[in-house]
Amino acid sequence: MNTGQKTSILILDDETIVLKRLKPALEKAGYEVETFTRSAEASNRVNEKDFDIVITDLKMEGIDGMQFLTQVKQHSPATEIVVITGFATMETAKESFQKGVFDFLAKPFKLGEILDTVRKAEKKIQDK
Amino acid sequence: MEFLGHGRGTGKKLPFTALFSKFRKVLDINNQVLELMADMGDKLGGDYIFDRQYILSTCQGMADLVSKLIYNLHGLAPKKYLQLNDAFRKINSEIEEELAGRLVIPQTDYIMRYELITRDFADVVGGKNANVAELKNHLDLETPDGFAVTTRAYQSFLQHNNLDEKIGEIAKAWSEKEISTEDASANIQSLVLSATVPQKVRKAIESGLLHIQELAGDKHLYLAIRSSALGEDTEYTFAGQYLSLLNEPQENALDSYKKVLASTYSPSAMQYRQEKGFLEQEIAMAVAIQVMIDATKSGVLYTLDPIHPERDVLLLTATWGLGAPVLSGKVRADQYTVSREPPYEISALDVVRKTESLAPKEGGGCEMQPVPHDLQTRPCLSDIEIKQIAEAGLLIERYSMKAQDIEWAFDRKGRLIILQARQLNIRGGFQRMVEDISSVVAGHPVIFAHKGVIAQNGIGAGKVFMVKDDKDLDRFPQGAILVARQTSPRFARVVRKANGIITDIGTSTGHMATIAREFKVPAIVNTGIATERLKPGQLITLDAEDNVVYAGIIKELLYYSFTEDAFAETYEYRLLRRVLKKISPLNLLDPLDGNFVPQACRTFHDITRFIHEKAVEELIDLNYYRHRDPDAPGRKLQSAIPLDLVMIDIGGGFSEETDPENVQVEQVASVPMRAFLSGLNMPGFWSSEPMSVDFGSFMSSLTKTFSSDIANPKSIGQNLAIISKTYANINLRLGYHFNMIDAYISENIHDNYAYFRFLGGVTDQTRRSRRVKFIAEVLGKRDFRVDLRGDLLVGRIKKLAPEAMKKKIHIIGQLVAFTRQLDVQMDNDQQIGRFVEEFDRLTQTNGSANQLEGTA
Repeated sequence: MNTGQKTSILILDDETIVLKRLKPALEKAGYEVETFTRSAEASNRVNEKDFDIVITDLKMEGIDGMQFLTQVKQHSPATEIVVITGFATMETAKESFQKGVFDFLAKPFKLGEILDTVRKAEKKIQDK
Repeated sequence: MEFLGHGRGTGKKLPFTALFSKFRKVLDINNQVLELMADMGDKLGGDYIFDRQYILSTCQGMADLVSKLIYNLHGLAPKKYLQLNDAFRKINSEIEEELAGRLVIPQTDYIMRYELITRDFADVVGGKNANVAELKNHLDLETPDGFAVTTRAYQSFLQHNNLDEKIGEIAKAWSEKEISTEDASANIQSLVLSATVPQKVRKAIESGLLHIQELAGDKHLYLAIRSSALGEDTEYTFAGQYLSLLNEPQENALDSYKKVLASTYSPSAMQYRQEKGFLEQEIAMAVAIQVMIDATKSGVLYTLDPIHPERDVLLLTATWGLGAPVLSGKVRADQYTVSREPPYEISALDVVRKTESLAPKEGGGCEMQPVPHDLQTRPCLSDIEIKQIAEAGLLIERYSMKAQDIEWAFDRKGRLIILQARQLNIRGGFQRMVEDISSVVAGHPVIFAHKGVIAQNGIGAGKVFMVKDDKDLDRFPQGAILVARQTSPRFARVVRKANGIITDIGTSTGHMATIAREFKVPAIVNTGIATERLKPGQLITLDAEDNVVYAGIIKELLYYSFTEDAFAETYEYRLLRRVLKKISPLNLLDPLDGNFVPQACRTFHDITRFIHEKAVEELIDLNYYRHRDPDAPGRKLQSAIPLDLVMIDIGGGFSEETDPENVQVEQVASVPMRAFLSGLNMPGFWSSEPMSVDFGSFMSSLTKTFSSDIANPKSIGQNLAIISKTYANINLRLGYHFNMIDAYISENIHDNYAYFRFLGGVTDQTRRSRRVKFIAEVLGKRDFRVDLRGDLLVGRIKKLAPEAMKKKIHIIGQLVAFTRQLDVQMDNDQQIGRFVEEFDRLTQTNGSANQLEGTA
């Protein structure tokens, strides 16, 4: 990374299989990654720290991903958000983009796809 | 779900068009089922990120499709195949049980023989039993014969004696600090020890003992009886928390069982659980009952130094006699530091004076004995023994995808026995070793990335070894990376030794991938360029997590993966694998077999297969053999090729004058059907036709079984085509595989299409998938869009002018003829290319004949 500092990523998903697969892949690609299965903890964390990129599921037990990403954008407008969801509909996709998310991936997706998306988001941040 | 179709009532006849629309529905759903099945299979490779929702929704989708299929078959054949409903309900409820998180296991299991245990049963047999059984069943390592007394036996024991409540009260008082840990422990233990083992459990244990007596060939056994608690040896080691009883005579089995159960409530175990945040209700104790191994020497192997993994060594501890005192630190032991690479050289050896060893006592129990003077300062292990232990250890490490802590012993016959294997925690050591994994990785050049498909996740490092033929396999070195042009089932011979597999060609659902998954050898297939870019002897690291091949050995990457939870070990992955077992395997192969009945359907694939067969049969039966709809005449095709093909004309498919029973090839007026038949009848393609000389000799050099099977009418199925002037739907079962063609040709180019589906075969999966690869190449060269998954192939082409469409369908006809027996002959991968060439040559030779048919 030319900035000398790693791009930071927070991932929120209530399914550990997603985190277990994503975290090592992103870390090996040179990102600094924190993962959360509980939205309350993720919420606290984004209030403490501005992440470069947030990757979040939309539908999780107990909370609304939409609410979470709204909160992220309010607190840190520069954060790029990537939505990953197993319940992809046109409405949720539209609503997500209206809220300013960077990209929207429907599960299941290939590891290469999300790495590409993250790289693009990173480039957008660097170009700012 | 309501299956009983409203279809035709008895006596009433549906017009053929209505039957046909149901039939098309069956075909359509059939395709959807097969595609969804292949899609789910793909997810078991390492390329995708899926979640529980994916499993739930695909299982739901699958159940919906299969129930619609059944509904539509009931419409075609009312009340004839009602047993399909039961078959469906049974399979579906098993899947639902799995999805609800309940392992589907037989109700009677108070014990489970090791032969039947896999890791999926860890919840019923505990971690230790599951690990030991899997080492034997999967990796073929020697382990003690034995059986598990399950958690269900434990529940039954508690209920029978009303212990649930009593223990609950004491545990509550303890957690509220009303009584001390020691008192709580003593009270609970005395309750357990004075309780009685229910008769059913007793009987089960007796039958288990009888079984291992037979295995051991000994009527009176001495046993090792160990705890195998839930979660023990997997996430948490509970090392040394629970009791292990050694050399117990078999008549003590029940008492020993109770003693081990009671040890669940030792003060230290209760405290350990409390610290780790376990609830007392969460404890379910399974017990291992094993034949006692009378060891001459024993010890422990760590496959890495947990404190300093960067040393990259095996740590080996050994002593004379039984190993228990080494574990508890009661005796001194020799320490070996050994290289992780063949030939496993010793880099450090600390031989201590071993004055005492633990030995089994006559009549039961163990005692410390003096070690003979000349053995006291002699190292316990020979180089060969060290090599044996190292190879077993590294095999287990790779299979478990984690560094290992292994208890081993050599018995009186000199055999290496693995007593236990559990995960070794290197997390702390690794964090000191590598601060930033990405910078380590960045220091190594990427040879290629994201080129193929991951067939098995994992990290493997070693020397490239190119495999071209079987002789190469004989020389395959331990720990190398197998690189080959194509996949082959013969790789199974060396897969135990390989640290990784990379091929140019192959699929994630093929046979090779299955073998790689069985042994958890990291594998990437279908890279296209591996044999070209990699050089023999080159050191590489294969990252089959992220699909990258690096130059050089990156140990850090391997150890990094040891610190992460493996993807394949996640609950969701295991769940998908378990539900797929109830969906994908095909057991109903031969329609002429007496077992081709609804009751024999064990998977959704079986039901789907059965329905397709019966739907074709029904349509032929209804409109050809029995009542005939005058608007849709059925005729049998008279042709040189013994097709047994019934054609049903739904409008302009025949020219006017046909015999009431039969139709000649020339009388077929359907444009797509004519094109298909002209391809099918091309000289040289249908293999019972005379062949050109060099093709014939080429074929006969390949196999002797080739010609014997051809004339057999049994190998030709009953076949059906529904045609009109512009349309053909052709269902052919030739031998055991299926061709389905659906095509439309008119002057309106935008409506034109051809769809070709090819599936199955009677030979092994690999030969079948070679055949579909051949078809894929032929179609691909001719501009079809080809979708290939395992041995299911779908080729599509559309929107061509009528003449061009005819040519495409002509090619399909040629392919159907050409491939009829091909899977039998395809005994190696090189043949794919040769058959493609041969097919092209035949096509060209027949150019003039094609012109005669007006399709060239």
